[in-house]
Amino acid sequence: MPIVFKKNQAMFRDVVGVEEAEELLGWLQKKPTATVDLSACSHLHPANLQVLMAAKVTVADWPKDSDLRAWLETALKIG
Amino acid sequence: MTPLLEQFLSEAHELLDGTDKKLMQLEKAPEDETLINELFRLVHTLKGNSGLFTFPEMTRVLHASEDLLGMVRGGQMAYSRKLTDQLLEAMDFVGLLCDEIESTEHIDASRAADSARLAEALRMLLPGSKAADAPGAGTAISTDVNKVHPAPAATPTPDLPPLFEIPEAARAEAFRQCGNGESLYWIDYTPTPQCFFQGDDPFYTARRTPGLQWGRIVPPEALPPLAELDTYRCVLRFQLLSAASREEIAEYYRYLPDQVRTIAIQPQWLVTPQGGLNEDPTGAVKASARSADALPQLAEEDAAELSAIVAAQRQILMLDDHSAWRAGQLKSVAGVLINASKVVGDSTAQKQIESALAQALTQSQGAPLLTWLDAYEKKLSSKTAGQPDVSSCCNECEPERKPDARRSASAPEESSAKAAGDDGPKFGRRAEDAFNAPKSLKVDQAKIDRLMNLIGEMIVSKNALPYLAQRAEVQFGVRELSREIKAQYAIINRITDEMQDAIMQVRMMSVSFVFQRFPRLVRDISHKLGKEVQLVLEGEETQADKNIVEALADPLMHIVRNSLDHGLEIPEVRRAQGKSATGVITMRAAQEADRVLIEIIDDGKGVDPAAVKRKAYEKGLIDEAKLEQISDREAVNLIFAAGLSTAEKVTDLSGRGVGMDVVRTAIEKINGTVQVDSTVGKGTSIRISLPLSMAVTQVMVIESDGQQFGVPMDHVVETVRIPRSAIHLIKQSQATVLRGRIVPLKALNTLLGLSAEPKANADDELAVLLVQANGEILGLLVDGFRETIGIIQKPLSGVLSGLSAYSGSALMGDGSVLMVLNIKEVV
Repeated sequence: MPIVFKKNQAMFRDVVGVEEAEELLGWLQKKPTATVDLSACSHLHPANLQVLMAAKVTVADWPKDSDLRAWLETALKIG
Repeated sequence: MTPLLEQFLSEAHELLDGTDKKLMQLEKAPEDETLINELFRLVHTLKGNSGLFTFPEMTRVLHASEDLLGMVRGGQMAYSRKLTDQLLEAMDFVGLLCDEIESTEHIDASRAADSARLAEALRMLLPGSKAADAPGAGTAISTDVNKVHPAPAATPTPDLPPLFEIPEAARAEAFRQCGNGESLYWIDYTPTPQCFFQGDDPFYTARRTPGLQWGRIVPPEALPPLAELDTYRCVLRFQLLSAASREEIAEYYRYLPDQVRTIAIQPQWLVTPQGGLNEDPTGAVKASARSADALPQLAEEDAAELSAIVAAQRQILMLDDHSAWRAGQLKSVAGVLINASKVVGDSTAQKQIESALAQALTQSQGAPLLTWLDAYEKKLSSKTAGQPDVSSCCNECEPERKPDARRSASAPEESSAKAAGDDGPKFGRRAEDAFNAPKSLKVDQAKIDRLMNLIGEMIVSKNALPYLAQRAEVQFGVRELSREIKAQYAIINRITDEMQDAIMQVRMMSVSFVFQRFPRLVRDISHKLGKEVQLVLEGEETQADKNIVEALADPLMHIVRNSLDHGLEIPEVRRAQGKSATGVITMRAAQEADRVLIEIIDDGKGVDPAAVKRKAYEKGLIDEAKLEQISDREAVNLIFAAGLSTAEKVTDLSGRGVGMDVVRTAIEKINGTVQVDSTVGKGTSIRISLPLSMAVTQVMVIESDGQQFGVPMDHVVETVRIPRSAIHLIKQSQATVLRGRIVPLKALNTLLGLSAEPKANADDELAVLLVQANGEILGLLVDGFRETIGIIQKPLSGVLSGLSAYSGSALMGDGSVLMVLNIKEVV
């Protein structure tokens, strides 16, 4: 599984495909205070990204991949 | 160019001619349904064909045309003049692309914009499209990749990229690239909302943009609350800065030209002193675009920026930093300064900085650079203060800036001209355009056949010349004339030979024509059978006469099906036998002298000779005696006998016992031979040998009872002379022992119903022609051997066609007729 859902944190791993977005959306709706750990993520489909952005989710750990991190920061960094 | 592409192009030209004609006709008879149907079919075919290749530019336009015609066909919209114009335009564009592909084998990425524009224009005509009735809507420009920046006059708030939002570091880096003379583009990528359903990952696309310097994801104004969010509707946009060339970018985004806007960045735009909105330097450029008067002012602003850069570098140099970083710091400061002076066009400064840097590096401190900076700043301030230096500065700057100003001023004109009239780029192959003659001709085969017959007759009549020369010498005693005839003959001979070769070349086709259908066939059948098969094609470029290549199609199909069905085992069995799970079928073609060899090799279970023997015996194909003496190799070749199948059950693929028989018959019909070699458990190899061309047959001329006969060389094994004493009589039949092997002998005279006895030579030896027929070697007793010649064999016609002993006749050079024996029937 590219996303591992823990108690109140979703861990993204490797490449997260489009098919994960629906589940992620459902999960985040149930857990409005959840955070995400993107450290092991190398790429995520924009469908997932949209969900994260719409949920204004807090990023607990940014991706180790600096390129991805730079991109995601433009979208997910609040303020 | 691949044969498939060649075929596509030749078909495309034909289809395009068809669409042009139909469009013209439709204009006269817009109600004609059959015409619309035909037109739709043409465009549909063309679109389908284009989809086989990566020509998105072409497919896009054709797809839009097809949609439009579909509506017309369905009666949802009326046929109109505007429609014809637009469709003709689209077809011209497709024709243009075809020509381009023909010459360069690919479509230039710059066509993507035109393609998008045309497709858009076509879609505008669809009923329900918002601009359907607006005047000039047909050619309205919705996107233009080539636009430098939008016309300031038309758009009050210029649509310049918000460069100041780029973080300082990225922008500085980008500026450096710019200063080095590299191009820089701002890309605005807005994926369609449905793109996720098309399997796109726009984020990935954006991340992989060539020459990417910086990029960001732009969320929509307001994201819907989580509960209302449609996950699969893309709402994001991407903004990128790329240092790749325009061509590279266009090529990369060639599938989505309508979703991407590219804007060339001027280096000055990047220099925003500490990123204030008010000081947006683009204002200066805009100003310069409007009036040339703005130039001095611009120079002032520019100089201000320059001094800001210089000041920043000074600060860096003053920093009391770690000495470990010092060298890098110095280099970077010098780099920025050099680039800055490049932009200004100050080449002397460049050299000064370089030498200062060298000094600074050796001393490991910034002092030399600082000294230079001091001097430079003084010079700068004197310029901005309006000292005489100003003019020189401006002169230095001018050549740099002028082209920009001109470019940005003329670009709006261009684009507005485009927008105003429907005078977008025309792809016309109209009457006034130069006619582009096609490079290949489509010729009816009958015409080539006629040429072939004519050259055949020519060869025959040419062969009469040596006889004439001989007659001139022997009969009339004119040696001189004889020599001259011979000299003329040599010339005619050379020309006819070349001519024959040329005509044969016309008829030559590569076997890939037949081979290319097999990958699909093998894939489909192997899936059906649950087998894993890899097909290897070799020597596809081998050429042979068209008739031969075409006649190969069916036999090869049978053989490959057989291999798939009976030859290759299912993966489990293969693994159990220690073979790889994937079976391999190799199809190999090669030319060997004047024959084409085709091998079909599989690594399957092979043919069991014992099983074949038993089956053949059961079916009565061989008798008991034969069953005992037949070799394994001969037994395996029995699979070509009629009515034999070793498969346990009949499947829809093979097993009816007709397959291999058909193969043999078909191949023999074109004077080919087929042979099978098989090792149980290892695999089977089937070898087909075919003549290169059916036109010329090599025959050996033999003499018997004072007549000449031709024997096809395919059947000739060898010629020997045997003393009469070595011929033994076994019951009624004659035989001899040749190299330890018993060879049955038959007199050709007897076989042909001639009463004469075979003639022996002075040493009482008989001429024996060893021939191979029906898999056996047999000796034919003849009177003598003549030469081997190439003849053009004509089938017997009329009453003679019933004579199965002869396969045909040919004219000899001296005008006599040579009968060619059909060895299989004779013996």
